[in-house]
Parts: sequence; structure tokens; C-alpha cells
Amino acid sequence: MSKSRKKKASKRRKQGKSTKKSWSSRVWRLFLLLGGIFLGLLVPWVVYLNHQVTTEFEGRKWDLPSRVYARALEIYPGAPLSLQDLEQELKSSGYRRSDRASRPGSYRVSGQAIDIYRRSFRFHDGAEGALQFKVTIAGGRVNTVRDTASGGVLDLVRLEPAEIASIYPLQKEDRTLVNIEDVPPLLVSGLQAVEDRNFKHHPGIDLRGIARAALANLKAGKAVQGGSTLTQQLVKNFFLTQERTVLRKFNEAIMALLLEFHYDKAEILEAYINEVFLGQHGAYAVHGFGRASLFYFDQPLERLEPRQISLLIGMVKGPSYYNPRRHPQRARQRRDQVLAAFSETGLMTEAAAAEASLSGLGVTDSPRARGTRYHAFIDLVRNQLAQVYKEEDLRSEGLRIFTTLSPSDQEKAQKAVSGGLRNLGERGLSSSLQGALVMADVASGEVTAVVGDRDANRPGFNRAINARRQVGSVIKPLVYLLALEHGADYNLMSRIQDEPLTLKQADGSSWTPANYDGQSHGEVTLLEALSQSYNQATVRLGLNIGVNNLISRLAQLGVVADVTPVPSVFLGAVELTPLEVTQIYQSLAASGFSVPLRSVIAVQTATGGELVRYPLRMLPQPRREAIGVLNYALTQVVERGTARALNGLLGQAATVAGKTGTTNDRRDSWFVGYTRNRVAVAWVGEDDNRPAGVTGSNAAMRIWAALFRELAIEPVDLRMPDGAFWLWVDSNSGLLTAEGCEGAIQVPYINGSEPEEMTDCLAGSQDEDDESIWKKWFGKKR
Amino acid sequence: MNRYGKSGLVRNVDGTGLAGVLRTLVSTLLVALISACAASAPAPVEEREVEARVREPARQSSEGVQVFPLQNPAVKELLADAGAAENAGDYDQAAVLLERALRIQPRDPEILQNMAEVQLQVKDYEQALNFAVRSYDIGPRVGEICSRNWRTISVAREHLGDHSGSAQAELRASACMNTKPTSL
Repeated sequence: MSKSRKKKASKRRKQGKSTKKSWSSRVWRLFLLLGGIFLGLLVPWVVYLNHQVTTEFEGRKWDLPSRVYARALEIYPGAPLSLQDLEQELKSSGYRRSDRASRPGSYRVSGQAIDIYRRSFRFHDGAEGALQFKVTIAGGRVNTVRDTASGGVLDLVRLEPAEIASIYPLQKEDRTLVNIEDVPPLLVSGLQAVEDRNFKHHPGIDLRGIARAALANLKAGKAVQGGSTLTQQLVKNFFLTQERTVLRKFNEAIMALLLEFHYDKAEILEAYINEVFLGQHGAYAVHGFGRASLFYFDQPLERLEPRQISLLIGMVKGPSYYNPRRHPQRARQRRDQVLAAFSETGLMTEAAAAEASLSGLGVTDSPRARGTRYHAFIDLVRNQLAQVYKEEDLRSEGLRIFTTLSPSDQEKAQKAVSGGLRNLGERGLSSSLQGALVMADVASGEVTAVVGDRDANRPGFNRAINARRQVGSVIKPLVYLLALEHGADYNLMSRIQDEPLTLKQADGSSWTPANYDGQSHGEVTLLEALSQSYNQATVRLGLNIGVNNLISRLAQLGVVADVTPVPSVFLGAVELTPLEVTQIYQSLAASGFSVPLRSVIAVQTATGGELVRYPLRMLPQPRREAIGVLNYALTQVVERGTARALNGLLGQAATVAGKTGTTNDRRDSWFVGYTRNRVAVAWVGEDDNRPAGVTGSNAAMRIWAALFRELAIEPVDLRMPDGAFWLWVDSNSGLLTAEGCEGAIQVPYINGSEPEEMTDCLAGSQDEDDESIWKKWFGKKR
Repeated sequence: MNRYGKSGLVRNVDGTGLAGVLRTLVSTLLVALISACAASAPAPVEEREVEARVREPARQSSEGVQVFPLQNPAVKELLADAGAAENAGDYDQAAVLLERALRIQPRDPEILQNMAEVQLQVKDYEQALNFAVRSYDIGPRVGEICSRNWRTISVAREHLGDHSGSAQAELRASACMNTKPTSL
């Protein structure tokens, strides 16, 4: 370029010297010169634009937001599910209640029956089509499930999961890609009929179209029509800024020609359909017909009716001006214009178009909620995914993330925390109290609910995951577990001293732990000491166990904490998050079959290819027989210990295991509890760690109970694992005894830890019938 | 002493151990012979191992001692699908379906044992062991399922290099047919 310029410049100098040339010749030369300059500039410019068009278009990859899904609800006869829960789940999945469930994504309630029209959905393990079915519910359980069409019994149906969050690209564009083959034909041809009738034939710019537009504009005296082809519009969106200059118009035309030169019409149209701006959802721009269809109608594009297709096409002209939710009148007028164009071009019969223009817009009242109530859970999802994915991948790859969240559990958990804290405020505690809760499925370790703040809609500090607080007595069961693991020395009936003691600490100061009630209780059994949460007895026991053993046991249970090995650790001078405490107790609740807590089960690519699966993997604990025995002890905490108020709060006498925790000066309140299938941890305290006046049983336990009152409680399974068994023993002496003898209770023992001596009552009956004693020893508990 | 071997349940069955081992050996050899002679293309080795060393001997020795909890139809359907996936060699899909079944009935010993066998087939011996132990812990501890539990444990331990543990598990498998079921 610079070379040719120099040449021309030198020519001009020569020209300046020749004065004899005629004027006409001069003009001609000047014309040639300018033409030369123009061409000299144009060719490289076109080459540059060509490069831009081809590289951008070929490497074109929209940044797609990742979608995060809740777990899919399994519906089958016998499933524990109330009508309210089912409706809650349906609403979370964006279902609309209607008089007749005649469209996918709608349901109808009649008495104890719900008709559901499920949408088609690609689950993480396969696609399933739309399905109409009827569920009846009786006594908090699914009674029957039937296919509406055939009336046949269905053994198992799953609901498509709620979309609980999207992780958006930084440029804040929301988009759901569609393939041109999946786009309704009416949309494909209708778009051309309205925006660019000559699309099939023009080379990128449409001179006739421009002329027609110019004429119309001239007639009107202002710009009323644009002559832009779809290709030009795409170029404008794709490569250019929105400013209206001659240069830009020029570039646009050249690039449109180039685009058409390189690519076929279908590719260009597909790009257009995915690129065009069609509205604004809060801070996010809705791009493409695929997303717009979900945004305005809550239906996938392929299910749209002509009236809806015509509305979307009409909106291309001005998505905010014709916003059907904000300006339904305008939108309707515009849609009817489009319908008229459809009938004019023969895409619809006149009658069909007229009928469609009589119908409503078919727009939902509001876009499907984006699940702002799930911040806390999404934090956990991001943590789990951060081990595999970069943040920018989550923001651009359009991943489909399948999680373990249960929308109905989450709703109940949040209610329990918010309501519980409000309630504590009414009882005179501070209104700035904060709370957190984590709930997981015992066997699978799948986290079903996370609450990180008393206010569900407030993102920010997530206490469930990030608040490290002293755990207090919540740690104690591990001290007893370690003792029970030494079966030669300890069983639940072993006696220890609950007496004052003073310990010299490393820094020279002395430490005198006191009990909660200020009393010492003398000689107590391990069972009593744990269920009453006696501090002095626990510290004595702990000193025999060794604090380092406790810390390494903690690590074995999946929690590596930064702990100073001092005796106060036995009383919970350990800072853990509610999530970590949940992990520890999952192991106990699952009888030692630890499972790392999971919030994500699978991640797929945008097109459904499986990327990562997080399968169920068990990491069994050693000495599970000791965990079995400990489980029983923890049910005694609830039955007669520090959590004995729980059954009253639950409104039923259920076999639940649990442990309360209170820290110094009542700064933290903890309650951990589990049933056969669920484990949950609740925490209450002040963010700045000031004394809050809370105890394990007055605050966190109330929240825990408020949650479990709303859930079907399955009693803890007290069958002992291999290596432990039940015995009848005397409650005072701990000697072997028989059922029916005075003071006889059943207690589980690890093999080899059982007492050898027997009570007189047992000795007497043994003489009578040797055989039956065995039966009595290994008899049933319940 | 291995931690699984220490149990109060086998105290009274010492006399039958040898017979059980012999029976197992014979049936294992028999099945191995039969499958070796089969005209159709032989199944992959690991598949034969599960069939020959776990399922078939457990079936043969169970002699009508069947303790299966009632299964709900949803789980039955998932187990059937998982079985089909397994037969087709799609162990990943089989595991996904079994996991789905476990979400519905997390404490079903048969689902857990099926999962253990799938893990055996994908050579994840540690998980095979874990699922089988879990199945035994919450299962009937007697009959065919118990036998499959211990046979899986035995095979898994063998692959993990725990030969004495494997032999012990083999003994426990034979004991499944003789031990009085412990209720509770």
C-alpha cells in the first residue's frame, strides 16, 4: 500500500511540472488518480473485512450460560410425597396451575389427584419425552400413577428438574442455541416474509429492497423502512457497532456480500436466529429465538403456535418497544401486522391468520423465576465444580449441571431458619442473630438443602459453607467413639468420674472445665456422660484417649481442621463450618459408610454429551461396630439427654439421634441430628461472635425440629453391624442380666467388650433353662 | 485378625466350613468348565468371574433359603433396566440406574449387592468390597444374598491382594446357608 502511494505521489510531482496539458486531460487524469487511490485502498480493506468475516463466523462460538438443575423428583407408588410438596416441586420446575393440564408445563389439581403434563427433557442419563400422567396421593404418600392417555399404571415417572440458576457470561447475554432443522418452518419462512422477502435470492444486499425502502422513505419524508437484508442485520449485530455512519453502512454491505459468498443461506439464517436481540431479562440480554421462546412463553421453540411465532418475528423490529409484557397493545398490533404479512405471502390461510389475530398473545405473566432463593446451594455447587472447571468455562460453555438440591426441602429448611430466628427474636434474643443449615441424604451424601443466611434472598456471606465456628459439645461423640473402639477398656456401661479437674496448659496457665449445670455428677457411665454432655467426665475420658487421636479421627471422618492439640478440644475448641459438621455426622448416620458430601451428580455439554459424573463412592470407616454402638448412645441424647425436648418439638416420639452443642458464653448454638435417611446440622450465633444467649437446645435444636416436623421421619436403624450385638444388662451394675429381671436394659456391645459377670437374677434363671438364656441374650430389642 | 472376619455370627458353624469350601470349589470348576465349552463367543473374563464366582455358586447353594425384602415396582423396573444394561456391557449406565434405585431405597441389600457386582466388573475392587459389605450389614445376613455378599468380598479381596481375607470371606459365604438368621 505505501509503495503504490509513493508511486502515485511521484507521478503527481511530474504532473505538476507539465503545464501544457489540456484541462480535459487533467480532469481525466485526476479521475483516474482518485479511482486508483480508491481501488488501492479498497482491495486491502476488503481483504481485511474478508478475513474478519471468515475467522469470526467460522470460529463463532457464542458464550452460553451454564444451567444448573435441581434433582429430578421421582414419582412412584409409595413415594413419601404430600400434595403440597408435589405442588411446590411443580412450581419450582416452572409449572403453571390451570383448569386443564393441556400443555406441557401445566398441571391441574382436583382433590387428592394431580394431572401433570410433563415437558420433554434431557436428563443426565437420557432424554425423556413429554408425558401426561395423573398422580393420586393418600396419607402423605403417592398412591397411584397412571398414564393419562392409556390409563395404564406407571411404576416410575420423574419430573424434569427445576432450573435453579444460570451462570451467565460476563457480557450478560442469555441464549439457548437452536439448530435450523429444529426451527418451526413458519418461523423460517415468516422471518423472510417480514424482514427480507428476497433473502433466498439476493447476494447479501438487496438493491431492489433498498430502492423500495428509499422510495417509501421519500414518500413519507422520513425513514420508515429499512432496506437491510437479514444478512446485513446479522453482520450489524455480529461485527459492527450500533452507530449509523456511511462508513459503517458501507462495511456492512461489503461484509454481507462476503458472508453470502462464503456461507450458505441456512448457515446464515441459523446464525441470525440465534443472534438476534429479543428482549431484556433484568441485567441479561435475551438473544436468539430459542431463549426468547422460553422467556416469553415458557415453551421450547418447536412447540410455539403461529400466534406466538408471529409475535416474536414482529418483535425483531423493536424488542423493548414491542415488549408484550409491558406494551401488550403495541405488541398485539405488531403481531397482527405480521399475521397479515403471513396471509399475504400465503404462509397462512387468510382464515387461519384472522383466527390467530383474535387470540391472545400467549405470553406468560412473568418469566420463569431465576431461583434467587438458591444462592447458598449454588455456592456449594461452584465449590465442587471449581475442582474441575475454570470460572470462564462455567460462564461460556453452556454446561448442564445436575445437582442434588431438593426444592421442597430447601423451601422448608429456609422457612425453618428464618421462622426460627424470628421466633427467637420474639423470645427476647437479638434480632441480628444469624443461622445456617445443611441437610443431606444419609446414604448417598447428597446435599438436599443449604441455608446460609436468615434471609433467603440475600446473597453474600454463606455461613453454611464459610462460617468457621467453635463446635462445642458437637465434637464429644468422637471422644466416646474413640473410647468404644478400645473394646477391651470401654463399653457404654463403663464408669468414669465426673469430678472437678484442673489441667496445666502449655503456656503455664491452668484450665478447670466446669459442667453446664455447675455440678459434678460423680461416677457415671459413658452412656450418661455422653447423653447428658458432662464436660468433666468427657475431658477425663479424652485424656485417656489422647487429643492427637481425636484430631486424626476427625481427618479420617473427612474433615481436616487446623486444631491446636490442647485438652479443650475434647469440649469442642475446634472451629468447623456447618458443612464440615454435616460431613462428620453423615459418617455416623450411615453406620460408618462415609460418602463425601456431593452437590453435583453430573455435568453435561450443551448438546448432552456427558462430561463428568460424580458417582456414589463409599469410604468405609474402620471399626464400624463402634459407630453402631455410638449411634444408639446418640439416640439416648434425644430420649433422655440434653435433647430430650426434641420429641416434644417434633410432635412425635421418633427414634432420632442427635447432639446439642453450646460454646463458651453462649456464642454458638449447634444441633446435629439424623434419622435413618436424613442428616442435618443447624447453627445459630452472631456474625461478630459476641455472646448471643443461645444454647444448643434453645436455638439450633428448635430450628432443626421446625424443619423435621415438616418431613417424613424414618427412625434410626439400631440393628448392629457385624461385630457388635445387643445384650440385656443391669442398668446399675452393668452386669449381664435377663429380660424381665429388675433394672434390665438393652445395650449394644462390641464383640469382646461385653461383661462376663452376671446378676443373681440371671444366674438363678440360668439354672432352670440353659437353652432359653441364649435366646434372651440375643433377643429382639424392638 | 481381619476386621470383617471378627463376628459373633459364625461362632456356631465351624463344623460346616470345609464342606462349604469343597462345594464352592466344585461348583466353581463346573461353571468354569461349562462356560469354557459354550459355543457362543465367551463373555469377557470379568463377567465370567461375577457369574462363575459370585452368582452361580450363590444360587446353587441357596437351596431355597431365600430372604428377599419386598421390592417396590419402581425399584424392580430400575433393577431390570440395570440388568439389561449390564448384559449389554454398559456398566456405566447400569451403575447410574442402580444409583437411581438406591435413591429410592437406599437400604435395599439387593441393589447394593448388584452395585457391588457391577463394580467387580469394572474392576473397581475397593468399591465392590464396600458395597458388598454394606449390603451384608443391612441385609438378611443369610441365604443367597448373603452368599453373594461374601463371595464378592472374597473375589474383591483376592484382587486387592488380601488372600487370607479372601479365604475367610469364602468361609463366610458357605456359612450363609447354615447360620440362623439374626433378627433385629
